Amino acid sequence: MTDMRSSPDAVSRALTEHSYLADRGLATVLYLALRLGKPLLLEGEAGVGKTELAKVTAEALGARLIRLQCYEGIDVAHALYDWAYAKQMLYIRTLEATGQAKGGGDVLHDLFGPQFLERRPLLDAIDNDDLVPPVLLIDEIDRADDEFEAFLLELLSDFQVTIPEIGTITCEARPVVFLTSNRTRELHEALKRRCLYMWVPHPELEREIQIVRVRVPGVPERLAAEAARFVGRLRTMDLAKTPGIAETIDWTQALMALGEEELSADMVDATLGSVLKYHEDLEKVRDADLARLVEEAKATL
Amino acid sequence: MSGQRAGDAVVRKLVTFGRILREAGVEVGPGRLQDALRALDSIDLQIRDDVYAALACTLVAKRDDLEIFDRAFRAWFERAPSLNHAQRPLDLGLAEMDESHSVAAQTIAEISMDPVDPDDADKASAASSATEMLRSKDFAGMTLAELHEVRRACERLARSLPKRRSRRLEASHRGTLLDPRRTMRRAMHAEGEQIDRAFREQKLIERRVVFICDISGSMEPYARALVLFLQAAVATGRRVEAFTFGTRLTHLTPFLDGRDPDRALERASKAVRDWAGGTRIGESLDAFNRVYARRGMTRGAIVVIASDGWERGDTSLLASSMATLHRRSRAIVWLNPLKGHAAYQPLAGGMQAALPHVDVFLPGHNLASLETMVRVIMQLGRTRAAQLSRSAV
Repeated sequence: MTDMRSSPDAVSRALTEHSYLADRGLATVLYLALRLGKPLLLEGEAGVGKTELAKVTAEALGARLIRLQCYEGIDVAHALYDWAYAKQMLYIRTLEATGQAKGGGDVLHDLFGPQFLERRPLLDAIDNDDLVPPVLLIDEIDRADDEFEAFLLELLSDFQVTIPEIGTITCEARPVVFLTSNRTRELHEALKRRCLYMWVPHPELEREIQIVRVRVPGVPERLAAEAARFVGRLRTMDLAKTPGIAETIDWTQALMALGEEELSADMVDATLGSVLKYHEDLEKVRDADLARLVEEAKATL
Repeated sequence: MSGQRAGDAVVRKLVTFGRILREAGVEVGPGRLQDALRALDSIDLQIRDDVYAALACTLVAKRDDLEIFDRAFRAWFERAPSLNHAQRPLDLGLAEMDESHSVAAQTIAEISMDPVDPDDADKASAASSATEMLRSKDFAGMTLAELHEVRRACERLARSLPKRRSRRLEASHRGTLLDPRRTMRRAMHAEGEQIDRAFREQKLIERRVVFICDISGSMEPYARALVLFLQAAVATGRRVEAFTFGTRLTHLTPFLDGRDPDRALERASKAVRDWAGGTRIGESLDAFNRVYARRGMTRGAIVVIASDGWERGDTSLLASSMATLHRRSRAIVWLNPLKGHAAYQPLAGGMQAALPHVDVFLPGHNLASLETMVRVIMQLGRTRAAQLSRSAV
């Protein structure tokens, strides 16, 4: 296993070994994040491989991946820790029933001890005793609300949490932190300041063909190239949702499952739903003469 | 440490680069520069792409700033054509005003800068019937002093904007959801007996309201008053977004933001370049959909469009943009100042194309109609448009 912290090239190699083909820019930024120990904020359109990068980095480092999916209303009880109230209650009742109820202080101590603590992803990431520090993925941070962002800000600066009943837990081995955002809203300046920032673009054509070939084992070379070229053309078409590399991969898999060796107009028409997810977009592409688009994708070979 | 002097040179160069970026409008604080230095320390300075990536990921935090960064990087480190020749985002707000724009700057600046003539102010406050008259007076016929009054009224109006339930819970006495954490802690006082239960309820947060205001020539007399309202609304610090359009769409919120209303209006008047010019409603709304609505700005939001609907030429783009926007928002309110006139009929092609996708159609020609608009927005915040009885409006 290559040491990813030695150079951008090493990062690039390690990712490639795990089937993730990264551009030089992305590799350099990831290298810096590892090297400087800063969280990496990845922004980009849906389906360009932001989440995947965190997963692959964890694999390449041989680290555990801890994932926190954000959503509106997420709070400390969902993200950091909570107490197992039902268990606590049963415990009290059991003590009463068996006549073991001791002085209040001892019960309290037991009741708010580690055995009743429900650990959520963030606590897991901070209070870890992994040999290799884990990778913490905070996914779609733009979906969480402002209050949660402020809380994260604090967490990412000190890497310690205080649980009133237990005390302060300090992080021994800092996790490698990834944050992803689809940019449904702009994140707070202060949070961004804590992070290295990377805008992940759609890959270039040659790169995309390589990615499809790596991700879809056994794909005919011709199909991979044509599919990538066709999707690349769609991206220039001003659609409601431009298809990402994830869609190219899904689509290629779909075409392969149907036994296709190359693009054909009727098969493209039948499977277009795995590339375009909006009705208007489907209409628009069909109106733009699907047969011609397919011809174009094939002709430039 | 190899070569203290070489290190100093890098620092100096970086600091100057930071200053260039700042002048171009990218916020670069000392903390960022420090990160950039650390990053440069860890890479091979001979590899151009690595230096680029290292500086970009530490100095830039917004996608929109990347383009500026890219140009500055090429200018500064590679001696490409000077930064001053760069076009679009750099001259934002710094550009010289063209003819038509300076007129707007003037009128808005007049309203914001001139102290009110004390006589006028006295007259205004002396008779309450004057206020009543002001409420129903058409914006188009207003004097400067009256617009000042309007501005004050807008500040009051803008404070009441709608709320919605959030998924986030907060402690509450009236709530109905048990709060196990607090209940358990309270029980500790009674040795585990749960006498006193604590509750939570869903928190109320502001519902987003997006204003899109037509500032083309035909709308000009009304647009002035509406921009005053927009400034007051944005200044409340709530979830309000403001846009203007004539021939192009301008996201006005960042310019209107800030404590000092006069300076905000001044910034806004500089940012809007297509004041009192032509109008392209369809294209502007389409641009709004593609850039802002797609990212989710209108999700669950109430969209208020102020325009007279005078669309030149083909209205099919307007119709399809409105349909898209309607699907992506909670409700659409359309203000048309012309509707304030008794004889008005929505005959303009643009208006006809838009109306099927409008939930509430209101005038917007005087203060009273703005009050109605705020009331309607409040109602739409609670009730779905379909259930809102149109007679109530």
